[in-house]
Amino acid sequence: MRINPAYYFLAPAVLGLTVFKLIPIGIAVVGSFYGTSLMGESVFRGIENYRSILSDPDLLSSLGITLLFNLIANPLQVVLSLAAALLVFRPGPLIGLFRSVLFVPVTLSLVLTALIWNLLFDPFLGPVNAILEAVGVGRQGFFKDEAQAMGSMVWLATWRGVGYWMLFMLAGLYAIPESLHEAAKIDGASWWQRFRHITLPLMRRPIGFVLVAATAINMLFFAPVYVITAGGPNGATDFIMFRIYQTAFNYIDVGRALAMSTVMLVVVLLVALVELRLLRSED
Amino acid sequence: MSKLTALRRFGARLAMGLATATVLSTAPASAETKLDIVWMGWAEEMVKPLMDWFEQENPDIKLNYQRIPYNELLSSLEVRLGARTPEPDIYSADASLTASYAARGHLMDLTPHFKDQLDRFDGAALQAASYQGKMYAGPFATSTQLMYVNVDLFKAAGVELPGTDIKDRWTWEQVLEAAKKIAKPQDNVWGILLEQSDRPYQLLPLMQSKGAKVVSDDGLTATGYVDGDKFVEATQFYGDLFGANKVSPPGLFELNLVQEVFHTGRAAMMVGGTWNLDRLKAGAKFEWIAVPHPYFEGGTPVTSTGSWQIGINPRTKNPEAALKFMDFFMRDDVQVKWFNLRPYPPVLKANWGNLSDKLSGQPWEIARYELQNTAMPRPPIPGFREYEEILKLAFRDIQQGAPAKERLTQAAREIDRELAKYK
Repeated sequence: MRINPAYYFLAPAVLGLTVFKLIPIGIAVVGSFYGTSLMGESVFRGIENYRSILSDPDLLSSLGITLLFNLIANPLQVVLSLAAALLVFRPGPLIGLFRSVLFVPVTLSLVLTALIWNLLFDPFLGPVNAILEAVGVGRQGFFKDEAQAMGSMVWLATWRGVGYWMLFMLAGLYAIPESLHEAAKIDGASWWQRFRHITLPLMRRPIGFVLVAATAINMLFFAPVYVITAGGPNGATDFIMFRIYQTAFNYIDVGRALAMSTVMLVVVLLVALVELRLLRSED
Repeated sequence: MSKLTALRRFGARLAMGLATATVLSTAPASAETKLDIVWMGWAEEMVKPLMDWFEQENPDIKLNYQRIPYNELLSSLEVRLGARTPEPDIYSADASLTASYAARGHLMDLTPHFKDQLDRFDGAALQAASYQGKMYAGPFATSTQLMYVNVDLFKAAGVELPGTDIKDRWTWEQVLEAAKKIAKPQDNVWGILLEQSDRPYQLLPLMQSKGAKVVSDDGLTATGYVDGDKFVEATQFYGDLFGANKVSPPGLFELNLVQEVFHTGRAAMMVGGTWNLDRLKAGAKFEWIAVPHPYFEGGTPVTSTGSWQIGINPRTKNPEAALKFMDFFMRDDVQVKWFNLRPYPPVLKANWGNLSDKLSGQPWEIARYELQNTAMPRPPIPGFREYEEILKLAFRDIQQGAPAKERLTQAAREIDRELAKYK
């Protein structure tokens, strides 16, 4: 039997996916039915971990906060990355510089990004507050204010994410045949009409990809919470990944943390499925 | 052993095997023993001199030590010890976690090794290193808290200074009154700082000074204790320092940042450890004094204590070398050198005499008095790790405006949930 050569090209990716993703997911799902004794032995707990987490009001609150963050951050990142791509799409003077500036935040690690914004937003020492005070707005708590912490996290994630997603949007824009725009121009279509009836429909796939990928990343938003707020103030940034981390490494209950991860996996899959369905191309 | 445990151990051994193979393939062959050490993240100049000294005396033992900052050290140790591999051979163990580590089989029983030397150790330090009557760690430091006072800020505001004698100990109410007169939050000048402003290490003495019991006798229940009236009352006082009274900067949790505010002359008082003394003596740009730790009016003086210990992983493949390391660090002369690098109060009785030139006079006399009379160790419960972490997050929230009663009730519920596994 002759094997299709395509399988040879696919093999390394499939192998990597299996070893680094599927097998760990499998181990995590199995582990979620176990607990650990004080002396480190695994003990079968059945559905006890799931019963415990699903009846925990704090976990449900974490889940709500994570979903709220995604509801704000994901559409915002899609819109801003598309806008940024449209801005730097056409060749022009200094366009390379603008593209680079938009991309620079992506090159910083998330931890470094968190440290930088934590310093910039510091209520006492931060330059942002010094400016706000100078212009008469007054000092803001940002990450240290219960009402502003979530918004500050959305800002941080978006600041870093937009440049990255912009690349995918740019690739999408370049794939739209120039002739379509030219024909529409000859027919007298305005910029808005061309955007609404040519660009947007043909960008469905890149937009769908960015939305789903941003969801997968933002659902697992963790490092800035760990570095800056530790879930506070007063639970305002109690994201699910931080709770999972706490449960596994500070509360020493790996089984329950794995159960939370498994629930989270299902939630991410469901949200991604809904998003894909909503954005499915008509063709 | 279940299949899952076996699988995890196989994974850990495979990773170790690969790491060892990598090391062996690049390092020249030698007969020396290597000790893998996880050490508290003190500055390199405080750590290297002692490690170098050990290596000079023991040329056949090579130390591979890694310094990890406090905030990451405990969770990092959880991961490494949780894998139940022979590494690290040795680690810095926080005194409050002796029971937790010992109960989970992460500390070697040192009782047989030190049975003839137990009277060399300070009683409280030895107690903190013990669990169920056995010695599980080598005491390396203890601690106490003083209240540092910026005399210049007091004089500028025309506020009377606290006395340096034990009998002149201020109440928290007096501290608050003075702090209110001096603090100018709009100019970033503060009345009182708590050096470890979210850690139970520093905060439990406030509740204990009010007479609060912080956990049940069996160490397994927090409800009724952490959310008890006296605990809540003291915590609300703490929260109001940051909120209603605005005499302390909220949201400043990093120890070094809090120290920086005091050492740059922006706070009138700071309750902190003796490790601040060197910096103050070396270069304070203001006149300062150190006075006894405050207590609540009508309550009793209580101070924090306990600090770092050295633990040996019972799974180590190099027990002899590890015990040599332990013996070295438990030597009087080594701990004298350690004091000179970082002035923690000594845990070896002889060193109070050996260091008498440095430990006589104020403020060390206050420190010694506190250690002997008012020091109260953190509760030696197996679940202190969880207890501490949950309370820390609650203190942070209360500092930033959450009502104490409500937040502590939530914390008590969470602690009970996590402590259930020790029943």
